[in-house]
Amino acid sequence: MLSLKNISKHYNVGGNKTFVLNKIDLDVDAGEFISIMGPSGSGKSTLLNIIGLLDEPSEGYHYFLGEAIHNLKEKQRSALYKSNIGFVFQAYHLIDELTVYENIETPLIYQDVKSSERKALVADILDRFQIVGKKDLFPAQLSGGQQQLVGIARALITKPKLLLADEPTGNLNSKQGEDIMELFRKLNKEDGVTIIQVTHSEKNAEFGSRIINLLDGKIDSSRNI
Amino acid sequence: MIKTYFKTAWRYLLNNKTTTLISIAGLAVGICCFLLLTTYLLNELRYDRFYPNADRIVRVGNNYKTINDNQETNSAVTPTAVVPVFKRQIAGIEDGVRIYNYSGYKPVTVQYKDDLFNEKKVLLADDSFFKIFGFKFLAGNAASALSTPGSLVLTASTAKKYFGNDNPVGKILKVNQTNNMMVTGVIEDVPAYSQIKFDMLGSYSMLDRSKVLKWDSGNDYSYFLLKPGAAATSVQQKMNLYLTDVLKSQQKPGRHAWFTLEKLTDVHLHSSLSNGLEPSGNIKYIYILSFVAVILLVLACINFLNLVTARAAERAHEIGVRKVMGAQRKQLFIQFITEAGLITLASLLIGLALAYLAFPAFSNFAGSQLGLSTWRFTWLAPLLSGLFITVTLLTGAYPALYLSAFKPVTNMKGHGSSKNGNLRKGLVVLQFVVSVFFIICTLIVGHQLRYIQSMDTGINRSQVLVMDIGGMPFNKIETFKNAISTQPGIKSTTASYDSPVQIKGGYTITQAEGKSPDYSLSITGIPVERGFVNTLGIKLLQGSDYTPADEKQVMTDTFANRKYSFIINETAARALGWKPEQAIGKRIGVNGRIGKVKAVTRDFNFASLHKSITPVVLFAEYDWFSKLLIKTSAGNLQNTLTGIKQTWKSFYPNTPFEAHFLDQEFDEMYQNEQRTGGILNIFTAVTVFISCLGLFGLAIFTTKQRFKEVSIRKVLGASVSNIVALVSSDFLKLVFTAIIIASPLAWYAMNRWLQDFAYRITLSWWIFVLSAVLTVLLAFITVSYQTLRAALINPVKGLRSE
Repeated sequence: MLSLKNISKHYNVGGNKTFVLNKIDLDVDAGEFISIMGPSGSGKSTLLNIIGLLDEPSEGYHYFLGEAIHNLKEKQRSALYKSNIGFVFQAYHLIDELTVYENIETPLIYQDVKSSERKALVADILDRFQIVGKKDLFPAQLSGGQQQLVGIARALITKPKLLLADEPTGNLNSKQGEDIMELFRKLNKEDGVTIIQVTHSEKNAEFGSRIINLLDGKIDSSRNI
Repeated sequence: MIKTYFKTAWRYLLNNKTTTLISIAGLAVGICCFLLLTTYLLNELRYDRFYPNADRIVRVGNNYKTINDNQETNSAVTPTAVVPVFKRQIAGIEDGVRIYNYSGYKPVTVQYKDDLFNEKKVLLADDSFFKIFGFKFLAGNAASALSTPGSLVLTASTAKKYFGNDNPVGKILKVNQTNNMMVTGVIEDVPAYSQIKFDMLGSYSMLDRSKVLKWDSGNDYSYFLLKPGAAATSVQQKMNLYLTDVLKSQQKPGRHAWFTLEKLTDVHLHSSLSNGLEPSGNIKYIYILSFVAVILLVLACINFLNLVTARAAERAHEIGVRKVMGAQRKQLFIQFITEAGLITLASLLIGLALAYLAFPAFSNFAGSQLGLSTWRFTWLAPLLSGLFITVTLLTGAYPALYLSAFKPVTNMKGHGSSKNGNLRKGLVVLQFVVSVFFIICTLIVGHQLRYIQSMDTGINRSQVLVMDIGGMPFNKIETFKNAISTQPGIKSTTASYDSPVQIKGGYTITQAEGKSPDYSLSITGIPVERGFVNTLGIKLLQGSDYTPADEKQVMTDTFANRKYSFIINETAARALGWKPEQAIGKRIGVNGRIGKVKAVTRDFNFASLHKSITPVVLFAEYDWFSKLLIKTSAGNLQNTLTGIKQTWKSFYPNTPFEAHFLDQEFDEMYQNEQRTGGILNIFTAVTVFISCLGLFGLAIFTTKQRFKEVSIRKVLGASVSNIVALVSSDFLKLVFTAIIIASPLAWYAMNRWLQDFAYRITLSWWIFVLSAVLTVLLAFITVSYQTLRAALINPVKGLRSE
């Protein structure tokens, strides 16, 4: 479903090129659950952002769902992104001014989904994540685990084929983290959502089907579980 | 979709109460002032335009200069012949009217049965008046209303005052105790925005001079109605041709005279003629006030703009998230515009309400009778919607474009860049440039006005009571004088033709000793009673005051038998080429009065201080006095006044007592400046308020942004005062920049303004320093709360947040 060829990302610092990613080759099949690991500064998040079309590589070829991303215009890229990719963050990144319900609803609004349909979809996912009772609360009124649940629900509301998660459990305690990971596994197995997560935790990485280790912008190792 | 935009905007504004309030407060005050000023300006600009023939009516200006005059005289009062002669002679003139200000020298007493009133707005006009100006008659007939001598037209409210609901037409009013005048018509009240204002309008034919066509001694205002298509310039040319060709014999040698025509609609704001029916406004102030109105609005918008962009760092996160969720730039743009729109709408409504409440005070202040009736839906609705759109775009478009362009990844990390810091600083500097400018102007205008009031004008005005006695025979004046002179508290009494602070009479000196027979010098002259110089404390440089013997010589009835003696001022002596000591005993003639110079006075101001002192001649002549001047002693003024009033009542029970102090009259001459000063005070306060509001808002954000830096500095051992100095210095730098920019601008503007005064203060450096200190102090107080708060934070908290 996804293929990176020779992807590099570099910045110019004082006349020298500093590589964040250095000639990465990566193929991801539909239905995989990949954990990207590596020390701080190894390029994990940058890789995830490039895969998620939030960032652009300095060079290389990028294919997603059969489209050559590096040849697409901003508008096409944005359309592709909107309907196929969901993002989950370590810091949840919910909008403080919106309620749980509205946070989840927002991506649908941006996709011009009709009001009645939006209602049905949001009700559905609230039910599935068992947060119906919290729908009128604001993010500040929720615990970290609950906020992340909302974040995931929001990422999934558009039924993306690919879910990207940047240290989704980083701000949670171990019990909450484990619940989230269980949820990911379920999504992957039952709904067939392809998941790529960045994590520091060996234990969380084990939930996936493949672990990729990054070191200094290069793939150091890749093993299937 | 739209509902969502509103909901988000609304919540966002509620969650950020401080900044929302600052934005709304600033904008509302700005909009309020803008509305008030617009109302005032519209009122000034529509002056006289309501007359159906406004575009065809012109006013005649009377101009002359003799060889010996320094400057030409441009006056709005014209001789009696102008209208009848030119109406007959010049084809382009359809009709003309002479208007005389009957209550100009003193109020007219009007009696109906037992009711007695002092009327201050009584005009006399030729019967063509209503044909030319076309007022609407509520009763009576416009064509014949003024055709017979002794006819009188009233305005609706005057008619009501005298006759209640009775029909006024045909009723007789007793005017100045001698003339019976019959009411022949009632018209609508004259609007406040008319240069010709009156409560009563009588027939010009009741004046003796109405039948005599004279080309000298002007007393009337002349207006012409031009034929459709006739150009004022060509009519003016023909008038002057007639003057030089036909009336050559009437012209005194060396005297150049000419007529000018002003469009009716130009008189109020563009005329430079003196002695108009009412003091004219000044187009310069209209420009200045329009500029002020726009500037105030811009300042208020800047606040909002600054707050929104300052908050960009905070919002960057939200924008990032929304973009990740698939928001397009257009959608974000609409969201931010909606926020701006909501703020603008709220400010507009509050500003409108504020303006409504402030309206009576403002119109009182502006000195123009603005009514709320000035607010018409026809212009207010487009103005408000225009304001809404402009302000929303002005405040919303830039932040919306700026914020919606954020890149999601960089911003999600928390802190967006605030690259537009320089723009923000520039805008704050702009606000303070305006504030400092206004502060300096206010101080200078106030200083100049105080200077005028306290200046030694050569006349001692204090404790001088002025009574309007318009034309009372001298023997009556004398009896009254004698009656009050025995009362305690009265030092001396004298009578004069004019008020000594506004001497208007235009005369000419001829037949001066040692000069050629052609010699003529235009001067200002005033008939006075003996004791004038003494009562007003005018200093004599040479010679002596009038004696009873001088008095006797001018008391004879026949003009030819009188022996005049003159008191001239220093400037007159100089204009005649004489030193004060040489002038004594020299012969001069003043419009046919031949006599000798008896004394030379030190120069004193007898006109507005806008003008420098010109030659003036005082002469004892007891034919017509309009003012009785009573010098009182300082103690127990109330008793003295009551005494004078009682004596007056016992002498003239049918004439209301009318008196004021000379000081008061003097101050009223500078009403225009006082008003400008007052308006300036208000708008200075408003600009300073808005600017400080902006600075305060900015301080909130800057201190928030520097939280971490301040925390680290505190850990490193910075004291509270170190931190306060560090944070405030950033703001004060901006204010200093503003001071440096604003000072020369203000200096230039005020220098120009002061040129209008012949007597003016010099612009001294301390005013600029004082303004600078004031501004810095204000700015410091404004930011001190925020900086102190920043300085007192617990550094652990500041560092943990990272």
